[in-house]
Amino acid sequence: MMVETGIPKLDEFLDGGIPKGKSLIYFNHLGVEGDVFGMQTLYHNLAKGGTCVYVTSSSNPETMKDHLREFGWNIKQFDDKLLIIDGFSSLIGGLSTENYVVSNPESIDSMTEMIDRAMKDVPKGSIIMVGSLSSIMDLCGEENTLNAVKMWNRMAMIREHVLIYNFTAWPYEESTLKSMKNDIFNCVISIGGIEERVIFGQYFGVLKADWSKVEMRSMLFRVLRPGGIRIYIPKILVTGPFNAGKSSFIHSLSTRAVSVDRLGTTIALDHGHIDYKGFSADIFGTPGQERFDPIIKMISGEAMGIFLVVDSTLPKDFIRAKQMLEITKGYGLPHIIVANKQDLPGALSADEIRNHFNIPKDVPIVPTVATSKKGIYEAFDILVEKITGGD
Amino acid sequence: MDSTIELLEKVLTDLKKVGGVEASALASRDGLLIKAIMPSGQHAETFAAMSATMLGAAETATTELGKRIPERVIVESDHGKLIATGAGPKALLVLLTTPEAGLGLILLEMDKAAQNVKELL
Ligand SMILES: Nc1nc2c(ncn2[C@@H]2O[C@H](COP(=O)(O)OP(=O)(O)O)[C@@H](O)[C@H]2O)c(=O)[nH]1
Ligand SMILES: [Mg+2]
Repeated sequence: MMVETGIPKLDEFLDGGIPKGKSLIYFNHLGVEGDVFGMQTLYHNLAKGGTCVYVTSSSNPETMKDHLREFGWNIKQFDDKLLIIDGFSSLIGGLSTENYVVSNPESIDSMTEMIDRAMKDVPKGSIIMVGSLSSIMDLCGEENTLNAVKMWNRMAMIREHVLIYNFTAWPYEESTLKSMKNDIFNCVISIGGIEERVIFGQYFGVLKADWSKVEMRSMLFRVLRPGGIRIYIPKILVTGPFNAGKSSFIHSLSTRAVSVDRLGTTIALDHGHIDYKGFSADIFGTPGQERFDPIIKMISGEAMGIFLVVDSTLPKDFIRAKQMLEITKGYGLPHIIVANKQDLPGALSADEIRNHFNIPKDVPIVPTVATSKKGIYEAFDILVEKITGGD
Repeated sequence: MDSTIELLEKVLTDLKKVGGVEASALASRDGLLIKAIMPSGQHAETFAAMSATMLGAAETATTELGKRIPERVIVESDHGKLIATGAGPKALLVLLTTPEAGLGLILLEMDKAAQNVKELL
């Protein structure tokens, strides 16, 4: 049994989650909204009935609970499953009513003592989460803290708990950061900023996971309030011949969408947004007729994947469809064929389309009826898997 | 040192301070939102995509006629003006103004900002 992170896509890349006895660090670079990762993992496991021990060191335990509420995660109902090691109240001379109170937060031994006690009290396979390893380092020193962390990791291994750390990479010693990334933890999730051409965003990726062989590419993400982490896909293109059902497809799929349609056809673009199964994507639809080719070219830049929509009853339009895939540079990108209007008499099946037009095996063809939403989420799942899958 | 995105954000916040400017946004030529400073609740992504298409269509329309690329596109309505202008080959800058805003100073500041963006990207 694995302990899941509850972060979209991440568990898949970790071969199902974190095995008991292992340690994981959310390694946040400066300036990213990384603390939501730990929060989401905590909530996900409480909601599944797990027991969690949370170590506070930089703020009042209530602050963490307020933070969870911001994302719409109410943990009141799980109060008996969430134990707190309070490493903060003593710092400000306050009293604490928590389960475990660190008497002297500036001494790492005092922290170790409480972690040891909590680990003995909770059932196997519990999560022990260190709210802010950076603030412990600031209080107790880098070397002392790292030595203690190695010991905590061994303790978790022996007692078969999962130990999760949240960490912000302030300008600590180079050697400290290096050994944290490489040596000390079983798994390191790096969370940072990205500037790639014109996409400015935040990404996460697996730097290391010693139980899994899966290679993971970096994933762009967004943080929704409420909602938490979503894998973000800034542009998915929907293209295909005139009247194939592109606009209908986008409107069926999207949480909200607009189209610049005049005289019954799209003259500029459709733009939709979809929030679905942990993904947040913006969808751009092109016009179909050749006279709009300059616009089609323009809006297809930076696309991460393409739906090529065809009217399954009109094989004569397939030539234009292939041409559109070229105009949009779709051949080099993850793309799938949406075989639309399957409800109409004479519609070719996916196999017929593949044989007639020599579509390569690795290009999926998904039968749909855009107007009644049939098949459209399957199409979305398949394309998104192609865009975000490991390679 | 500030990151590029922080510098771009500063260009937008400075523009927003010009009298009569209600919102400012930066988009890529192909319609992706880079950054917007606009009242919350508005769909900045859609706004960016439409503005990029509009400017792109205007540029294509005029060059088809053998004319030079236009400096900007201005859309006027009772509720205000929308101004879109290229900011280098990769991006465009879009402003929304109040109906009574005068364009003189705004266009001047916008051109400066566009130049800054061009150098940053
Ligand atoms: N019977 C049927 N009609 C569809 C389907 N999808 C779209 N349509 C219709 O086909 C026409 C063109 O659709 P539209 O989405 O505007 O096509 P676009 O030009 O590719 O954007 C409209 O009348 C739609 O109602 C479908 O799956 N089945
Ligand atoms: Mg259309």
